[in-house]
Amino acid sequence: MRSARLRGARVALGGRTILEDIDLDVAPGLTLLRGPNGAGKTTLLRALAGLVPLSAGDRTCDGALLVLGHRPQLLRGLTARENLSFFARYRGDPAPRVELALAAWGVPAGELPVERLSAGQRRRAALARLDAERWDVALLDEPFAELDEDASHALAVRLATLGAGGRAILVATHGHTELDGSRTVRLAEGRLA
Amino acid sequence: MRRALLVAERELRAERAQPDGLFAALGLTLVLVFLESLLFGPSVAREPAVAAGLTWIALAFAAMLATTRSFDRELEDDAIDAILALPGGRDALYAGKVLALTGLLGIVAFAGVLLTVVLLDLDVTLPLHLALVTALGTVAVPPLVTLYVALSLRLRARALVVPVLVLPVLLPQLAAATAGTAAAISGDATGALGWSGLLVATALVSGVTGLTIGPVAIE
Repeated sequence: MRSARLRGARVALGGRTILEDIDLDVAPGLTLLRGPNGAGKTTLLRALAGLVPLSAGDRTCDGALLVLGHRPQLLRGLTARENLSFFARYRGDPAPRVELALAAWGVPAGELPVERLSAGQRRRAALARLDAERWDVALLDEPFAELDEDASHALAVRLATLGAGGRAILVATHGHTELDGSRTVRLAEGRLA
Repeated sequence: MRRALLVAERELRAERAQPDGLFAALGLTLVLVFLESLLFGPSVAREPAVAAGLTWIALAFAAMLATTRSFDRELEDDAIDAILALPGGRDALYAGKVLALTGLLGIVAFAGVLLTVVLLDLDVTLPLHLALVTALGTVAVPPLVTLYVALSLRLRARALVVPVLVLPVLLPQLAAATAGTAAAISGDATGALGWSGLLVATALVSGVTGLTIGPVAIE
């Protein structure tokens, strides 16, 4: 089954415990991870992605993982097309998907390097990876940040569609965004409520 | 290997669009070679061992500069996280960076050695041997430089820490490259080939060490 999970996970960074005793399954469908600023949402996503070491517990991920952080994660100096093409080629995906994804998300692919795009356009370019690559499990950190109303709505619809289609998606947000068909888990002071 | 090549290609594309790492490395090398000729005077500066040693010291610093700039670019907007989260991402990132740096250092080394020869009016007796030693030195240096830049990725005092860590472990490579270059300039074919053999050995050791530790070291 396409999923990612943490069992008894503990993360300590710089001598401070950020996450404690986390049991979480990111199962097929759409899951919202809510919590106030500083609750540890980003660290939890990074732990699921294997980007921070666990000081206790286990992490497993079945299926191809896509991680979209709270920053765009696009390499400066390259265009949006070049960035997405790299990821698609890395995974062995066909290039035409990149063009379609960029068009679908309204990203000016052109010859502009990503640092010359607006913050919202960079965010759209990052989100276009949802459609440019083949993945089974996606972890998104505050994906609605910097998006205008139309793009936020388009993202909510796209996530609901992908979740309903059997992909496992975890969206971390401190906001009040509601997503169709989603279940919610809450994080407070490093522990799941 | 395919993934490492893709990372190297991505790196070189970014460097082509924003060649600040290459220009900084080239500038540093050229300034040091130029200063050498002014500070030591023609008679000392034209000594093969002096000219070769200073050229390779300049190239070592140039490699550190270019690699640090390359990882700085990865840290902007957390681009590095996207690669680390990909399957085999750590290995591909390390190997790709080494490949790209080898290419960049090749350009810098070619320019640096050429400038040394022209500026100091050196009479190179064995140009093919000189090219061989330069090429092998260019391959031997990047694995360890990339490894130590990766190890110090999140350190605030990285600009200080990297040379302090890297230069001691680069001594065998720098010594072999310097001696091999001096031998090629002065017409000692046996010496140039012997030092080339040592460069091959150090390249293999540093390559295996880097590929073993480097991917784990990247945070």
